[in-house]
Amino acid sequence: MEDKEFNLEQMEKETEEMLKINILNPAEAKFFRTKGGFAGLKVKEEEYPRVQVVRMFPFTDPEHYISIRTVEERSKEIGIIEDMSKIDAETRALLLEQLNLRYFTPVITKIINIKDLHGFAYFDVLTDRGECRFTIHMGGGAVVHLSETRVIITDLDENRFEIPDIMKLSANERKKLDLFL
Amino acid sequence: MKEVKIPKKIEKLIRENGEADEEIIASSASDMNVACEYADGYVVLTSKALYVFASESDSKQVHLFKGAIVKKDEDTEDDKEWHVRRFPADDYKKLTIEPQVACSLLVITDNEDVERTLTVFSNLHRKSMFKLSREFAHLPGKEEKGEGPGGPGRGFGGPHGHGRGGDGEGEDYCPKCGRMYPNPERKVCPHCIDRKTIFTRTLKYFGPYKIRIVALIIMYTLVAALNLVWPYLNGTVLYDYVLKKNLEFLPNIGLRNANIMTALLLVIITMFAAKLVQQLLNILQGATTAKIVADVVCDMKKSIFDSMGKLSISFFKNRQTGSLMTRVLNDADRVTSFFIDDVPYIFIHSITLVTTVLVMVRINWQMALASMFLLPISFIFSFKFRPKFWNAFGRRHRAERSVNNQVNDNLTGARVVKAFGQEKKEEHRFSSANTRLKDTEMSIVRLDNIFSAIFQLTHNAAGIIIWCMGAFFILNKGTMALGILVTFIGYTNQLDGPMRFMSRVFRSWSDSMNAAQRMFEIIDAVPEILEDENPVPLDNPKGDIELRNVTFGYEINRPVLKNVSLNIPAGSMLGIVGRSGAGKTTLVNLISRMYDPNEGQILFDGIDIKHISFHDLRRNVAMVSQETYIFMGTIEENIAYANPNAAKAEIIRAAKLASAHDFILRMPDGYNTVVGSSGRQLSGGERQRISIARAILADPKILILDEATASVDTETERAIQASINYLIKGRTTIYIAHRLSTLRDADFLCVIDNGEITERGTHAELEALRGTYYKLMELQTKALALKE
Repeated sequence: MEDKEFNLEQMEKETEEMLKINILNPAEAKFFRTKGGFAGLKVKEEEYPRVQVVRMFPFTDPEHYISIRTVEERSKEIGIIEDMSKIDAETRALLLEQLNLRYFTPVITKIINIKDLHGFAYFDVLTDRGECRFTIHMGGGAVVHLSETRVIITDLDENRFEIPDIMKLSANERKKLDLFL
Repeated sequence: MKEVKIPKKIEKLIRENGEADEEIIASSASDMNVACEYADGYVVLTSKALYVFASESDSKQVHLFKGAIVKKDEDTEDDKEWHVRRFPADDYKKLTIEPQVACSLLVITDNEDVERTLTVFSNLHRKSMFKLSREFAHLPGKEEKGEGPGGPGRGFGGPHGHGRGGDGEGEDYCPKCGRMYPNPERKVCPHCIDRKTIFTRTLKYFGPYKIRIVALIIMYTLVAALNLVWPYLNGTVLYDYVLKKNLEFLPNIGLRNANIMTALLLVIITMFAAKLVQQLLNILQGATTAKIVADVVCDMKKSIFDSMGKLSISFFKNRQTGSLMTRVLNDADRVTSFFIDDVPYIFIHSITLVTTVLVMVRINWQMALASMFLLPISFIFSFKFRPKFWNAFGRRHRAERSVNNQVNDNLTGARVVKAFGQEKKEEHRFSSANTRLKDTEMSIVRLDNIFSAIFQLTHNAAGIIIWCMGAFFILNKGTMALGILVTFIGYTNQLDGPMRFMSRVFRSWSDSMNAAQRMFEIIDAVPEILEDENPVPLDNPKGDIELRNVTFGYEINRPVLKNVSLNIPAGSMLGIVGRSGAGKTTLVNLISRMYDPNEGQILFDGIDIKHISFHDLRRNVAMVSQETYIFMGTIEENIAYANPNAAKAEIIRAAKLASAHDFILRMPDGYNTVVGSSGRQLSGGERQRISIARAILADPKILILDEATASVDTETERAIQASINYLIKGRTTIYIAHRLSTLRDADFLCVIDNGEITERGTHAELEALRGTYYKLMELQTKALALKE
């Protein structure tokens, strides 16, 4: 890559590399914890001092198809973990730690109050991380339905909150949420 | 940095832990810890070190986000246990923010390249954290240590610039309730503005039609008066005087020697005339109302549309077309219906109510009381139902919006739907949105029904009670004549209208105010790009453009352009090359002021473009972009879009220069061919050539061509190329292209990668540099060679 001479063959090889789906073999891919607490990866001879862990289907299939990527801004895929349950517990814990940070989303367990005022809705909810009060825009897009019963709510700053199953809320709470369903 | 707000205790801890002469430069609150729990914290940057304060996560604490935060007067956090960490600035070379999906990490890199997460914060703090990380990069000695341009560049270096607003977090609070404004650009607190102001503001739209409204009120009053007379004629006069042959009343109206038949005739004629006048008034009333409604609705739509036009491009990017259409099309109707169908009646019905009641009390106060006692009940019900209706209307609006979005989406994507044969699926998607709309309508009807049931019940109950009482008075006591009872019943029926109205008024009010609120949301929205109130006049500009340390991102912590400086002398042509997504289009969007840079300046002839009026700027900068848009209308109108007064000869010349003339003449109606949404289809290349002609006719000093020849074939491209060569004479041109061959004539070129200018120089210089440009060039020539 650093070779400044133009090399068509090399470029074609790179392109081919880009088009290939590279499934990581758990036996070959050795993840390790970096000094600073991030995840690093060694595959065969290649060592990556730090990697990014990204879900391909964060909502519909969080346990499968995990993309391991380089960290620079135009990150490239190093490989894919097909199934999180097929890797050893230690690696799993390390990767989950990264994933939890990346996809941090408090889960709403109880709706205390929702107030609809002049184009904004003020939420007061109980989440698995404590009580939260946030505000959303009424003008579309803030409440996204992932399925009939699953909802992601995005506040003014694009912080996210999730209701995994609205049917688990009480009838009274659903009524408060009614406006958005 | 002017003011840094941190709690006193934190400041004290810095003094205790740090050196004597440390100066606090920047600070930010944080709200999470590495374990993904909410926990208060602070990050403070001093001239010597970075401090990270962390507290224990408290599950009882309520976490407030934007819009919910209430301004605190005193330090309430003083009782917290703070865990302090100090990072001497000399031991660390980089402080970066790594955005995650919905939170960010503050990461510090030491001189051995070990990266550590210091803290985690929600998006609430990203602005202040971003500022802090920039301040860290500005500490003495940091710039050299940071990686140069072309490196991974996750830290964004660059000298100081003026940040947009530059506000501390402490200024955007409602002075009344202390809550943070949900939208700092529009200083309106949703908690404190009351609905009365919406009402009065809406009322203003009726101002221009005062006379007609007064006429309307007079008509209403007349009808009410007639209503009042009717039961008297129909009851007392007819039954008690005429039918009982009691002619004592005749002299009172000036008839001395009339017989009973004349009297009967007279009563009948009066009754007939009363009804006739009432009918006429009703017709007149209807016509006047219709006129006022149409006018006001038209005015409102216009004002919504006008306000939308003033808004910056980012507003439209964030909203769905269908939902904006709902606002323009439906909301104005809803707003006015209350004002026309209800507001005038408030007076009329109040008058009718009061006078009728007075008359009834005079006739028989016991019966009057009986007929009235249920009125408060239906009124209270109406009041109680208000929030239910409010929500129901809000829900209907959202359902309407989603139907509109669905239709809009489908029509725009009709080709894809057909190509993949997905009509059935789309039908299903539409019908589910449509069903939802039906359901919301049904729930309103349901509420309505509950309502009228309650109302009917009270009404009927009152009616029966009165009949019974009347019968009692007539039979038992003989204190009442039958005619009086009939009159009384007539008045009770007269009450029906006002009472029904009073019970429904809150419903209509909710409907109207709900829509008005959405309307004003658009009308009040403040454009992000504001025109200078006293712009610097721009007479006969030369066309110099300079970018000074411009940093810009659509989101504050994700810069698309990083500290870009560029100078384009008047009359020269700059070619911009770069991968897709590198920031090329963003750069030209900034020059035409679709967005304002977050930091740095853009100068036009040495004047900051923020100080140039929109009119001057837009007249002098024209853009042909990769997204071409053809408006509904003829080709002639489309070419003359920016310059409607252009002479025919000029339009032809522009079309010729854009190589559009010939294909235009191949169309049956020539320049008068109707194109755009409903008219003739144009190919991508044809559209592009028309937009080039549009730019040529605008005759700007600065011409921006953003992939202007992307969708034309090679032959046409060459033709356009020739016209462009002609076009760029005497103009400053910025030409973005993927095909390097089109940039052959550029005076100089620059390569943008990752938001930074990585290479710049003339064609020969860049070739000699053997960098990205060289690589791209080789790739294109060799790829071409391979094809042949």
